Amino acid sequence: MATSPPATDAWLVDLRAQALEAYQREPLPKWRRSGFWTTSLRTLELDSLQPRRYEPTDVLPAPLVAALGGDAVGALVVQRGASTVHVEVEEELSAQGVIVSSLETAVEEHPELVREHYMRRLSHEEGKFSAATAAFWTGGAFVYVPANVRLEKPIQTVYLIDEGATAQYAHTLAIVGEHSECSIREYCLGAPIEGQALHAGAFELYAKAGANVKLAHFHDWGPGEIYDISTKRVEIARDARVDWVPVHLSGRLTKQTLDIVTAEPGSDMRHTGLYFTEGNEHLDLFTTDRHEAGHTTGDTVWKGALTGDSRASYEGLIHIVPNAQESHTYLQTHQMLLSRKAKGDAIPSLIVETDSVSASHGGTVGELDEEQIFYMTSRGLPRSEAVRILIEGYFEEVVQRLDDEGLQSLVRRRIAEKLGDADDQVAEFIGERA
Amino acid sequence: MSLEIQNLHVRIEEREILHGVDLKVSKGETHALMGPNGSGKSTLANTIMGNPNYEVTKGRIVFNGEDMTEADPDERARAGLFLAFQYPATIPGVSVANFLRLAVNARRDEPMKVKDFGKYMRENVDLLKIDPSFVSRYLNEGFSGGEKKRAEILQLAMLKPEIAVLDETDSGLDIDALRIVSDGVNALSGPGMGSLIITHYTRILNYVRPQFVHIMLDGRIVREGGPELADKLEEHGYDFIRKEVDDADGH
Repeated sequence: MATSPPATDAWLVDLRAQALEAYQREPLPKWRRSGFWTTSLRTLELDSLQPRRYEPTDVLPAPLVAALGGDAVGALVVQRGASTVHVEVEEELSAQGVIVSSLETAVEEHPELVREHYMRRLSHEEGKFSAATAAFWTGGAFVYVPANVRLEKPIQTVYLIDEGATAQYAHTLAIVGEHSECSIREYCLGAPIEGQALHAGAFELYAKAGANVKLAHFHDWGPGEIYDISTKRVEIARDARVDWVPVHLSGRLTKQTLDIVTAEPGSDMRHTGLYFTEGNEHLDLFTTDRHEAGHTTGDTVWKGALTGDSRASYEGLIHIVPNAQESHTYLQTHQMLLSRKAKGDAIPSLIVETDSVSASHGGTVGELDEEQIFYMTSRGLPRSEAVRILIEGYFEEVVQRLDDEGLQSLVRRRIAEKLGDADDQVAEFIGERA
Repeated sequence: MSLEIQNLHVRIEEREILHGVDLKVSKGETHALMGPNGSGKSTLANTIMGNPNYEVTKGRIVFNGEDMTEADPDERARAGLFLAFQYPATIPGVSVANFLRLAVNARRDEPMKVKDFGKYMRENVDLLKIDPSFVSRYLNEGFSGGEKKRAEILQLAMLKPEIAVLDETDSGLDIDALRIVSDGVNALSGPGMGSLIITHYTRILNYVRPQFVHIMLDGRIVREGGPELADKLEEHGYDFIRKEVDDADGH
């Protein structure tokens, strides 16, 4: 078991103590869904994974350099293992009152701001790993954009795991003030590691009235045995808009709860997700579009593809609470199987507790369409190329919604790489049916 | 330079649809294959292009002297065959321009330079009087019936096949769209291309004048002739031909 880091503020010490109590009380979870889908942690050697500290550095870690390419960012917070190792913020941002730092630093330097928002939408009573994150987080990231600020370059936070037998307890708190516009990107990156590692994460974003936030989560944990058990929550206030794009490209086992809440009239969400699993990866995602007030809007699209023996389950819930009349929302999810052994499901669901709303959803799980392949081959494209183009095209709709050129090219590149790696088995699978 | 269909028998699932079809289309010729719904016209078109759902049980497809009966669709395409689909598939996430570039390059040893391709595409877009913004849309996604057919004709124009099969390219088109498609086909027809226009109606033949007309009933070609055969069909309908054929069989 990890030990809590020292916290100077009594309120946080108290919260961590409560979380630790919950952690010790809660059993190791097992998530069951739809009767046949189970995410179990029986292979996770939790007790042997310890937080590891690293010294600060000016040299960015290689996986981050590769992921960032030439992207210009306005601010950057990098956490390696249990330590914040690199923070940079452009002067122009600081001059506008923007704060980007580790959460540890923010607790010391901006206690009121942190305390007002910290875990307002999260709880340590949501199972063992929520409790673990709340009790043990170190480093962390804090983003504060004051009211009426418009930022051109994205604010970037990074969680990196590049050593085995480690545990990373992460917490990002982001606040975007009234009528401000900005883009926040969080990258979760892994290097090929020996043995296991754990990322237990919490993320919370509060978009204040009239704010407009583009938020991206890019997960690419690599081929190592990295477990990611995280909860992310986004709250959107009156007339604010959040455009959220989570991307999952690798990781041994991922179990994430992703919730986006339109909390006040006029708030608007766009939620676009993508995943591509391979090998023996296991991905379990549960998203909720929660409408807590009337006159709110939502638009969700999630697309995934599976190769190898991988397992991927996506469940997307639209929840419209009582009194949230005149909410209009839409959710669609698609999943494509690209190997015989891969198994997945994509389940849209709906809870509507009021009237005068429009809420629709649709989901498909399928394989590549032979008619499409015939069409493309009839134009002279070899079958394997037709298949590759169809899969890239399938994801392209989601990539287009990223609205961030650097991230778009990163995602396209990684999809192409993954398709290249899976070329033989996809060809075999598609060939079997011909 | 010709496409020869020899005694072709084709099965889909367990049912035989074509019962011995013979047909020859040479470069520079325009043929019309006419027949009522269910007569086997689309089966022939799909089989010519190598749709894996259709099984050839007997006979051959010979293109430029080479037996193509077992060839994959992409080999046939690269050899110079083209099928304009009755119901073209939608290809999400792939723009018309991107798809055209891939298809044009698939039959070249060296890919065309991006600039040259752009120019080549613009020429054809202008020739077919297509709105230039059309090529940045995803192929066939949300296209109207007319737009789908236009996309097919644009591909035909840019891929420059030796033999083109147009499967019910006229169906579902209003008169303006029909004229645009017909003008396109006429502009492309000539000594360099042979075409087989498959249609249920005689309507398109008011715009595209075939030299040869073949009439298909129940998986067989039952009448062949010149344009006058289409006129006769226009006047008397398929039932008349069917009766003639049945009476002939009765003797």
